[in-house]
Amino acid sequence: MTTLPADAAPAWDEVERLAALRGYGVLDTEPEKAFDDIAQLAARICDAPIALVSLLDKERQWFKAEVGLGVRETPLSTSFCAHALLQETGMVIPDAIKDPRFDCNPLVTGEPHLRFYAGRLLTTPNGLPLGTLCVLDTEPRPEGLTDLQAMALETLAGQVMTQLELRRALRQRDESEDTTRRALAASDYIGAWDWDVVADRVAADERFAIMYGVDPALAVAGAPISTFMGHVHSEDTPRLQAEIQAAMDGDGTFVSEYRVAPPGQALRWILARGQVYFDREGAPVRFAGVSVDVTTRKQKDADLAAIASRLSESEARFRVLADAMPQMIWATTPTGFHDYYNARWYEFTGVPVGSTDGEGWNDMFHPDDQERAWERWRHSLATGDPYEIEYRLKHHSGVYRWTLGRAMPLRDETGEIVRWFGTCTDIDELKKLEQGRELVSQELSHRIKNIFAVVSALVALSARQYPEARAFAASLRTRINALARAHEFVRPHTETSRTTVGATTLHSFLTDLFTAYADETGAARVRVTGDDAVFDDQAATSVALLFHELATNAAKYGALSTREGRVELDTRRDGDRFILTWTETGGPPVEGPPTRGGFGSSLATLSVEGQLGGRLTRDWRAEGLRIVADLPATALSRRRAAEKQENRL
Amino acid sequence: MSARILIIEDEALVAMELRFVLEDLGYEIAGVCATAKAALDAVRETEVDLALVDIHLSDGATGIELGRRLGQEMGVTVLFMTANPGMVRDGVAGTIGVLSKPTDERAVQTAVDYALRRRQGQPVQYAPPGLQLFG
Repeated sequence: MTTLPADAAPAWDEVERLAALRGYGVLDTEPEKAFDDIAQLAARICDAPIALVSLLDKERQWFKAEVGLGVRETPLSTSFCAHALLQETGMVIPDAIKDPRFDCNPLVTGEPHLRFYAGRLLTTPNGLPLGTLCVLDTEPRPEGLTDLQAMALETLAGQVMTQLELRRALRQRDESEDTTRRALAASDYIGAWDWDVVADRVAADERFAIMYGVDPALAVAGAPISTFMGHVHSEDTPRLQAEIQAAMDGDGTFVSEYRVAPPGQALRWILARGQVYFDREGAPVRFAGVSVDVTTRKQKDADLAAIASRLSESEARFRVLADAMPQMIWATTPTGFHDYYNARWYEFTGVPVGSTDGEGWNDMFHPDDQERAWERWRHSLATGDPYEIEYRLKHHSGVYRWTLGRAMPLRDETGEIVRWFGTCTDIDELKKLEQGRELVSQELSHRIKNIFAVVSALVALSARQYPEARAFAASLRTRINALARAHEFVRPHTETSRTTVGATTLHSFLTDLFTAYADETGAARVRVTGDDAVFDDQAATSVALLFHELATNAAKYGALSTREGRVELDTRRDGDRFILTWTETGGPPVEGPPTRGGFGSSLATLSVEGQLGGRLTRDWRAEGLRIVADLPATALSRRRAAEKQENRL
Repeated sequence: MSARILIIEDEALVAMELRFVLEDLGYEIAGVCATAKAALDAVRETEVDLALVDIHLSDGATGIELGRRLGQEMGVTVLFMTANPGMVRDGVAGTIGVLSKPTDERAVQTAVDYALRRRQGQPVQYAPPGLQLFG
């Protein structure tokens, strides 16, 4: 039984050694001629019946090549070589029986009765022993190996390592090629080529051949480069040739995109990458690489380019249109960031292009309008309601001009706002006209009122010369004043004048008219109730004169002539009629209708029945006079009624 | 001594009639002016207790500012007399109120009486009809 001495300390790490052995991928492989030849030669030169290329595994020794033994492996325990590993270079055992290490070894004591051993270590370049090249004999050799035999064994051991190295390199290369092949096989669109420049022979795989429309058998066997170049698109050929030449003249890196037109097939776009290899003189000898079919990608790129081009065309058209329009046009992102203004805007404002982007637009507004505009814009952004506002915009000349700003949102298929488009229209002229109209209207009104005042004054002045005419003049003046008052309520009003006058309705006019009859505390003595109405200029005279007369008479003879007297004036709409009821109470007792009709009563009747087309009735009740004026509902606003009629026709 | 009243009105006939009415009532007329400037000059030159101011004068709608100045800065009691009472709807600082033109004698009499009483600090119980008081 051979045992390794307990105190033996190897200079290497067993785990490392085994790993290195595994790395050669040689264990349990088939015999190979190179190794068999070495074993044969060793046996011959050493004149030994047994020669082994022995590799020491964990539990066994395994023979890559063996001569004369008949087995491929033996257990480690009986191994001579295990001991050899512990020695520097080689081990020679002249007679095993006489060696205490081996005298009990079954291979010595029994078959095949081994007596002589000579082995040479097989070590990796790193110094890790893998096993031995050894020869064994059944006869002892006290003198050991001859010098020649020892030299031969040493040389042949070196050869074994060389072979193992080569085998390993080849194996690695095959593996990597295998990986590459598998990778290429996984993708349909990549082909590989290898061009022997000197011999002008391109070897390429099937995929490459198919891509280029070349018979795969031809490609695999190897064909001149012209076979493949022939199918490159004629427009791209010169450029491709130039790029190949550039790679060969330069550092050897090659990238190119070109079209191939295989006969009978669709055009393909190819992206090729490769590397040129040079000999010691710098001449190109080999050019290898891969080609990728990028037709789809190219198509997508082309589609994208077409879309982008159409978009930019459409954008260009929009801008041309926008710049041609007389209005200022602007656009914002959904969050209200202004990112576009047309030429008109910049012409009007005179600001540098881009300076009002974002929120700079607000600074162009009149300070008094800025807050109002912000609030309106924010509302539109939040709700999607169309934006509309009149404001003053700063013109490049320095003045502010009235402008109408409007904007609408643009929505996508889901209803989301994707853009706001807006316009600014210069309405300064219009506004001025409006203001002018307002002034004219005010002027007119003022003049009319003035005329009444002048006439009234004239009457008074004229009457001074005729004392007997005083009462007449006074009475006349009050009627004129009533007319003047009525006309203030009916003159055409604009926004501004309406606010200074207040409501221009029947009730407000009446209330104003009757303030002259208020009591000492200022409380009204004529109470106006019921449905209000609007009255126009055609009815103004009649309304004024009617109520003036009623009040004047009441003040002279009726309820308004006493402190406690009161009048209820109720106005009511009833179907197509408008009824006004004047009821006096608390005045002096009524004795019945007057014997003579006064001019005032005639005026009232004339107004109601003539001008307004209604009916006037007087009821001389004992507790107080009651007068009812029954008018057609349209009587007070005949003009408007006529307009309505016209519109309906 | 009777109160001295300044009439500020650009319509000559209206001013003349008003003048007669006031003189009949026993008041003294300090002057008749058609522009704000003339009115200010008059007040500087002579004593004025009460001014009856029209809003629209020869030199434009200068009556409002004139009334304010006369009332606040020059110690004159001011009553507006105008066909556009709406223009002073919110009142004018330093002035008493506004009469709507066309007026009648009674309205003028009671309004002037009221204004002069106020000037003298006499308590007044009622506001005359037709006179819209400020404040």
